[in-house]
Amino acid sequence: MQKFFNLVFMIIFSYGTFAQNADSTWFVNNYTKLERLIPMRDGIKLFTSIYTPKDKSEKHPILLTRTPYSCSPYGETNFSNYWRGFRNAYLKENYIIVTQDVRGRYMSEGKFEDVRPFIKDKKTNKDIDEATDTYDAIDWMIKNIDGNNSKVGVIGTSYPGFYSTEAAISGHPALKAVSPQAPVTDWFIGDDFHHKGAFFAMDGFSFYSSFGKPRPAPTMNYGPGFSSPVKDNYKFFLQAGALPNLARMIGDSIKFWHDMYRHPNYDAWWQARNARVGLYNVKPAMLWVGGLFDAEDCWGAWNSYKACEAQSPKTTSSIVMGPWYHGQWSAEGSQLGNIQFGSNTSAWYQQNLEIPFFNYYLKNKGDVKQIAEANIFFTGENQWHSFSQWPPAAVENKSLYAKASNSLSFSPGIGGSGNYEYISDPAHPVPYTEDVHEHRTREYMTDDQRFASRRPDVITLEMDELTQDLTLAGPVIADIVASISSTDADFVVKLIDVFPDDFMYPDAYSSPLGEARRGLMGGYQMLVRGEIMRGKFRNSFEKPEAFSANKPTHVRYELPDVAHTFKKGHRLMIQIQSTWFPIADRNPQKFMNIYEAKDSDFKKATIKIFCGGANATQFLLPVIHL
Amino acid sequence: MKKSLPLLLVFISTAAIAQTDNFIKENFTKMDTTINMRDGTKLYTVIYTPKSSTEKYPFLIQRTPYSAAPYGDTSYARRIGPNPVLMREKFIFVYQDVRGRYMSEGTNLEVTPHIASKKTKKDADESSDTFDTIDWLLKNIKNNNGRAGIYGISYPGFYSTTSLPGAHPALKAVSPQAPVTDEFIGDDVNHNGAFFLMDNFDFMNYFGKPRTGPVKDYGSQAFNASRNDAYDFFLELGPLSNTQSEKYFYNKSYIWDEYLQHDTYDSYWKSRNIRQHLKNISVPTLVVGGWFDAEDLFGALNTYKAIESQSPVNKNYLVMGPWTHGAWASAEWKQFATHDFGSNTSKYFQDSIETIFFNYFLKDKGNFSGTEATIFETGSNEWRHYTSWPPANVKATNYFFHSSQKLSLQKGNGGFDEYLSDPAKPVPYTNGIYARRNNDYMAEDQRFAATRPDVLVYETEVLTEDITLAGKITADLKVSITGTDADFVVKLIDVLPDDEPNFKSAPRGFQMAGYQRLVRAEVMRGKFRNSYEKPEAFVEGTVSSVKFDLPDVSHTFKKGHKIMVQVQSSWFPLVDRNPQKFMRIPDAKAEDFQKAIIKIYHDDINASKIVLPVLVP
Repeated sequence: MQKFFNLVFMIIFSYGTFAQNADSTWFVNNYTKLERLIPMRDGIKLFTSIYTPKDKSEKHPILLTRTPYSCSPYGETNFSNYWRGFRNAYLKENYIIVTQDVRGRYMSEGKFEDVRPFIKDKKTNKDIDEATDTYDAIDWMIKNIDGNNSKVGVIGTSYPGFYSTEAAISGHPALKAVSPQAPVTDWFIGDDFHHKGAFFAMDGFSFYSSFGKPRPAPTMNYGPGFSSPVKDNYKFFLQAGALPNLARMIGDSIKFWHDMYRHPNYDAWWQARNARVGLYNVKPAMLWVGGLFDAEDCWGAWNSYKACEAQSPKTTSSIVMGPWYHGQWSAEGSQLGNIQFGSNTSAWYQQNLEIPFFNYYLKNKGDVKQIAEANIFFTGENQWHSFSQWPPAAVENKSLYAKASNSLSFSPGIGGSGNYEYISDPAHPVPYTEDVHEHRTREYMTDDQRFASRRPDVITLEMDELTQDLTLAGPVIADIVASISSTDADFVVKLIDVFPDDFMYPDAYSSPLGEARRGLMGGYQMLVRGEIMRGKFRNSFEKPEAFSANKPTHVRYELPDVAHTFKKGHRLMIQIQSTWFPIADRNPQKFMNIYEAKDSDFKKATIKIFCGGANATQFLLPVIHL
Repeated sequence: MKKSLPLLLVFISTAAIAQTDNFIKENFTKMDTTINMRDGTKLYTVIYTPKSSTEKYPFLIQRTPYSAAPYGDTSYARRIGPNPVLMREKFIFVYQDVRGRYMSEGTNLEVTPHIASKKTKKDADESSDTFDTIDWLLKNIKNNNGRAGIYGISYPGFYSTTSLPGAHPALKAVSPQAPVTDEFIGDDVNHNGAFFLMDNFDFMNYFGKPRTGPVKDYGSQAFNASRNDAYDFFLELGPLSNTQSEKYFYNKSYIWDEYLQHDTYDSYWKSRNIRQHLKNISVPTLVVGGWFDAEDLFGALNTYKAIESQSPVNKNYLVMGPWTHGAWASAEWKQFATHDFGSNTSKYFQDSIETIFFNYFLKDKGNFSGTEATIFETGSNEWRHYTSWPPANVKATNYFFHSSQKLSLQKGNGGFDEYLSDPAKPVPYTNGIYARRNNDYMAEDQRFAATRPDVLVYETEVLTEDITLAGKITADLKVSITGTDADFVVKLIDVLPDDEPNFKSAPRGFQMAGYQRLVRAEVMRGKFRNSYEKPEAFVEGTVSSVKFDLPDVSHTFKKGHKIMVQVQSSWFPLVDRNPQKFMRIPDAKAEDFQKAIIKIYHDDINASKIVLPVLVP
């Protein structure tokens, strides 16, 4: 989430203040900007920037984004650079473009609350949430903005994706279309700050040290966050040590950081902050958008869509998942890191899905026939596919078994039983990426995993070379049978596509590694999906359970959905490890409240992974024939 | 040795200008001939004689196993001589295919053993071949001034050194540069008995091809070893014995056979150690080496030392620069890996040392007032001039290992550190995927290794003042292992400050801050800890001393930096894997390779340490 904020949002918007071109000039000449404080039902006023087209030939729809990242630039003569990028199309279509600072952020009044819980039964005007704020904003806009056609759409990526989800359940009749993109959905189970209960301390720390600063009164600027003197994030977080040390560094004023520490388990507090809980009776048409390689909210995109399907089956709801980093669908989309997609997947999405979606529902223009229920890009094969449901009905879940000699097989019978073993040392956690970086990379989601294969604390299992394509569509379930020498441990499962030794991208593609190193794609171990499970939550996120030392134990969990074809001649690889640093905090490998751990609590543990016989580690793969 | 041919070709092509081509044709007459050696063997020799006869010229000779090409009186090399200035100074430049290579007759021997007491004319070696060549040249090439010099890099460096014992009286100046010197102890093939797998494999694939008689071209490599990823390739290759499979050497390279046969410091290797014969030398010598030479750093330092100690009155000079193998012959050498030396170090060497050396001793031109040791100091990036190497004012200083990753002047605080060394997951010598050896590895960031559980890290506090090292480093480890053999790799590292700025051309996302820059590293095959001749098994649970030298450094750890030491038990695929079982490793089978727990002690009695040569101002 924070990357999106830093990179896409800030760069795009700040550049715009001094860059000028034909589109920016057109925007200024053809739009009028207004700034208004819109009153909510409880009297709180939210700061809102409204860009209205000068065109009066027809009435125009409103496209609203509600954001905690500021609707800057402030001032009615300062225009945003909305014209940059593909959403300039909405300006050319004369949409009324509105951005609003959410309650308690930047120039809006009121008290901010992170991922504010949805109130199901509202009793008085004091019972506000993001849904009521959206309702009140829409109500005011259609009544007060000249020339609107009483049709409103909402769009937002990342945290604004969360506000889009909440907008969708506002129930305002003028709201016709909503597109939550990489929506923050559940910060304990799968988005941003925790995955399966493991704390994504690095992302959280760099985000909250600025985002979480107190705001006693409306402001245009929160000031800088924590600036680390150590430019190597692996070293910084390793030196920082146990989580209480990080809490001391970030200081007492960052409320949400400390709230997270007070809720180490998936308790009522976290459950109230699960955006899925309100997703019933969704009225507007929905277009859920996410990136298969989104390091922040990939989980949220998949799982908000699924919740909407299950809980609000009558809603017109579609999902788009492309091969993207967080927000890449708004940027160039033909490659990520070292991996090529063969076409500009973002442009295809923009022109064929998003723009037609809003034009149809807000302007009654064109049609949405080409928008299927599920519009999914399959990496490996590098093709878009449409499905009438997700996961597709044709998926057959097949068990892939861990075998001796570092192999994997669909046959349960072959090979004997046995186990793999490694020592997981919290003092030497497995890096999540190969090189030294100051900030978490977004490319790690497709990184070459050979650096990890070469470590003694990573188990590498590999299928034989594929004799035909193997396509997966849906979530992967890891069902590990493990014993550990202590009382808790993490498990990271990585699904990897091993390219043939002689693999090279065609000449037509430029190699991101440089021409001299094009050959490096031969034998590349492409991360397709990785996910962590904090062992103590294996049976329940609410009630963690210690492991019995050295007793074979099932650790079963779901990895976020994948859409990938392992091509003929490739190999499917799975790696298992117990650290993934510093994206995930280290488990002391001792059953305890990790937020209270001391440096001395962190101990080595011997991890055994069993295969064959009664304790067969297996992976449930969603296999489909396309 | 391995790199010398491709590298030299690069240097030649970059240095070569069209004008140079014309310069050689316009100013030299080329002649190809064969010269009879005392045993009747004819060595193919190419001679470039200056056309001008206004003065008499000395010979400047290179003897090479890499071909004296181009062959034929009308085919001129694109560059001749050790450097462009010397070429324009004009010498009679001579190139000779050594015995048994390319167009010369006879049988080639790997690093030809020197015959100290020659009894008959059949007792030919490189020394006698050089003698016979010079003798012939003096008598047969007109307009010579009666003096000869010889030079060469890498293997030709060895052929330079071999000219010294029993030297022809006309030999007046010799410059062994990165000379292959002792291939069991420190050059090319083995370092302290550990087999340099990747270099040897790739070099012998080209160099080890047999020939039936003189050839201009050995043709393609012996077998196809194309690959993208050397680590993966050599791990899949498995035990050393698999290199003799049909796919690879298949016993077709006699040198490879010899390598696998001689796994201890036996008479095969000892007879190839030229140092023992460098006694009573009275020919001025200029020994040249590079601090980042992955092949023959040991040879340069120890050829100089052997002459110094065994021929103390000889005019013997040492130049050590911030160079990879042969980089001093390149037109420009200002940067390497993430180092920026601030000046063109190769040009300085060529113009201010090498040219003056040969001009003075062969032509009586100018004055060679060269200091004993001209040494580039990394870290401070300054040339230093010493009257001896190592300098006299060096204090061997103990830096002890401590728990909690500390390195300190005080003795260890008890206990040990341990790691599991798994031959199936050896520690890579470099970060990233490389088909061939990454030449930058000798100055590479070691953070990729520090994150591993099978690498121990010890580092000092932030230095409050500069510390300069000059000379040899000694690793003194107190170890116990669960197997009966293990390798020990010790790496000395300069840790840059956390606010170190990135250099200008740094790739995106690159972090110079906190960079762990390798200064020096060396491996010791544990079983040779007491003797290279008689390997000894380790006794499980017993603490053993593993003490060995790392090649010299001249390096300043700047104030604000930290000194770090890393210890590990594999360095792959630079070095073959130790099965961690006491045995003849060339005979090891896949199942012989076993995990071992390695303990490094740092208590009062068993105080593991590194001894650093600290320069006392």
